[in-house]
Amino acid sequence: MQEYIIRRIFYTLLTLFGVATILFFIFRIMPGDPTAQVISPALDEVAQARLKQAYGLDRPILMQYALYLKNMATLQWGRSFTSSRKVFDIMTYRFWNTIFLMGAGMCLVLVIGTGLGMVMAWRRQGPLDIGATVVALIFQSAPPFVSGLLLLMVLSYRLNLFPTGGMHTPGVTVGGGLAIFLSADFLHHLVLPTITVALYYLATPMLIMRDSMLEVMGSDFIELAKAKGLAPHVVMIKHAARNALLSVVTVSSLMVGFAIGGQVLVESVFSWPGMGQLMVEAASSHDYPVAQATFVVLAALVIFLNLVADISYCYLDPRIKLGKPTGS
Amino acid sequence: MRKQNEHRQIIFQTLAVLLGLLLVMSSAAVLAGGKPGAKVDAMKILTATATMDPVRPEAARVIAAAFQSIGWDVKANPIDYNQNIQKVLMEHDYDMWLVMLSGASLRIDPNIFIYKKHFSGQYKKGGWNWEGLSVPEIDRLALSQQKEMDVSKRKQLVYKAQELIKHYQSMSVLAYVQMTNAYRSDRIKNVVPMMGEGIGSFWTDINMEVIQGDGYVRTGINAPLKNMNPLAAKDHLEFMELRMIYDRLFRIAPNGKAEPWAVKSYKIVDPTTIELTLRKGMKFHDGVEVTADDVKFTIDYHIRWKAPFFIDSLRHLESVETVGKYGIRLKLKDPYAPFIPNLLGAIFILPKHIWQDIPDKVDVSDPLNYANEKPIGSGPFKFEYWDRGRELKVSAFKEHFSAPKVDGIIRVVYGSHDAMAAAIEKGECDRTRYIMKPSLLMDLKKVKNVVAQGYPNHGFYTLSYHTRRPPLDDPAFRRAIDYVIPRQLMIEAILSGFGEPGGSVIAPANKFWHNPTVKPNPEDINKARQMLKDAGYWWDKQGKLHYPK
Repeated sequence: MQEYIIRRIFYTLLTLFGVATILFFIFRIMPGDPTAQVISPALDEVAQARLKQAYGLDRPILMQYALYLKNMATLQWGRSFTSSRKVFDIMTYRFWNTIFLMGAGMCLVLVIGTGLGMVMAWRRQGPLDIGATVVALIFQSAPPFVSGLLLLMVLSYRLNLFPTGGMHTPGVTVGGGLAIFLSADFLHHLVLPTITVALYYLATPMLIMRDSMLEVMGSDFIELAKAKGLAPHVVMIKHAARNALLSVVTVSSLMVGFAIGGQVLVESVFSWPGMGQLMVEAASSHDYPVAQATFVVLAALVIFLNLVADISYCYLDPRIKLGKPTGS
Repeated sequence: MRKQNEHRQIIFQTLAVLLGLLLVMSSAAVLAGGKPGAKVDAMKILTATATMDPVRPEAARVIAAAFQSIGWDVKANPIDYNQNIQKVLMEHDYDMWLVMLSGASLRIDPNIFIYKKHFSGQYKKGGWNWEGLSVPEIDRLALSQQKEMDVSKRKQLVYKAQELIKHYQSMSVLAYVQMTNAYRSDRIKNVVPMMGEGIGSFWTDINMEVIQGDGYVRTGINAPLKNMNPLAAKDHLEFMELRMIYDRLFRIAPNGKAEPWAVKSYKIVDPTTIELTLRKGMKFHDGVEVTADDVKFTIDYHIRWKAPFFIDSLRHLESVETVGKYGIRLKLKDPYAPFIPNLLGAIFILPKHIWQDIPDKVDVSDPLNYANEKPIGSGPFKFEYWDRGRELKVSAFKEHFSAPKVDGIIRVVYGSHDAMAAAIEKGECDRTRYIMKPSLLMDLKKVKNVVAQGYPNHGFYTLSYHTRRPPLDDPAFRRAIDYVIPRQLMIEAILSGFGEPGGSVIAPANKFWHNPTVKPNPEDINKARQMLKDAGYWWDKQGKLHYPK
């Protein structure tokens, strides 16, 4: 078991190194130049040389690469080309904004999704099963900006129930950290984007839960549990759902990883300053330090969540015993 | 002796053969350029994507279709804007480029559009004459208007240059696009529009008044603020915010003229000497007085650290000295007419007592990498906070000689033009800072208590021709195709009417410098065909355009 975990961690680090290397070169191969973004007097040759020097782009590429690896390892991610601020500071701020949004959305998705999936499988082919599948698939197929804009149109522009976007009313300062959750203004702004995220992601855990429930429900031990005379809800929750949860764990860990970087659309519809927007801004303005760091963090997150899913298997599924030969 | 002669003969023969080869090759090169009688090369109109500006790809398509109608194979090619700049300004690898030269206040002085845009020496990496125009007469005028310190004489030179520029047509000015802005008339009043800035101008910032609300004006824009370091800023949107916090020696007034601001009076002693006298009693936001010492320090600092935006203008400066506590004497290397508007009207006065320790006492080695988290200037607004990606808050600096009438301004970033329009409609946002999508303006016009309209602009959409590629190397060809461009259609259908047809590179909105005799060409395909025919171009049976035989 321990050996397995250590091996897995080693592979994880190797993957991260690979990702970091690819990212470094991909951004430099990308056509365009960080010193040529707008038509401005700063496009003059002398000015450009000056900017390259300030950005450290005048050094040989291998040296830049070595420095980059060292900086990645020591978490000294340098300064943004466009804002001169420390990449780490920019990222922490944006990262938490996205976590607030995604955290709320994902909690909603996982709780509702697994719950619904469970009941849907139990009442297979019932109106709930068919209705929820159709609705969830519609929202999954509709890009989030469509559902987001629809929500905005109806609930904000027409009915005036919610603000049009942002994290809080302009000019209202909100305390940092978790205190933000105590601010009614923030929560008010959080509702619509959370619903949008939830609608978009709901189908995945729900349908997976439903399918794996159906699979489990065909097993002998469920028949046995029923035969023992246990109440149906006890069989459903304690026996079937617990076993069916396993596949939801795998998928949701990956889903959460992608959700953190993949919510550019929700973020731009609701003017939410999160990671997704930051990634797009940084990549399109060739702000290498920020772009590299955001992508590395995202990759690290997905890889890490994958690792956690793998390891948590050992605990969730008693059949998986690693390292030792098991008799079935 | 004979041997020597033989040698000489061999050398002569070799030279002759080489010369002959050179002649053959060069004539071949000429042929390759002109390709007499061949079909006119197919070309692409490079431009930005709709994400950046929905107008550009649409306009490029409309124009490409118009060029096709005269038998010339042209396609629109919208790609990422950064790549546009890379391909055009850095590599000169393009045929035609549809771009907007926005009405930054720096571009009110004619030097940018006359000299930078048309002087042959500016056809270089990063230079602005990306069309590659090279006309000795335009070069002469471009240089002499730059050196002419007498305004009325300079005006004559600029007038003449506009005529020639129109004649050689290295680019077609498509449309002077209005600044499409909106504001809530139930919340603010006395907005002061300015050429090229609309109601997002500095003059609105300090003159507008709040009718109802908490005294703060919520100003919406759809681009996040990038940098608050005056030395590192290089984009108009950054200058729009920095100029509230930092003072300038001169400011460009709404009429486009550079007026003394932090300077009480100035004197042009001779064409290369300028003397300035600062206003007395000006203070930085931390209470320290602004003196000539700060001004000298600012200029020296920009030179020492090669501030990218100013490096070009600063090349003309020989030295700067203080004369007493408030006097400054600037010595130029050569007479340079745009010096006052484009350097003294743009550079921000830095507090010496703060910046003299940068970068030595902060954790960067280069001031360009300094984030300047809490900017302190002497401008009419003081910095309150900057919540990155969301909002910037500044409040009125009451001790300023031209203190604002509002309590402050909050700059709010919206994810899209649509979100901004909705916020204005709901009253969450009081005014726009910059251009808003014209189609949204049409919707906002119908909303009660919202003023949505276009304001004059000296910026324009233009179609640049790479004049070193045939057929665009032929001025007659360029002149002819200008008559094909469907300017009215573009303005009505794509700009929702918020524009005027373009002629001269100096827009009519720039009243002082615009030459009224340089007018836009009407759309006239028959005339274009006649002009092409006169220049020797011809059409085959399929109606395709061919080079002269």
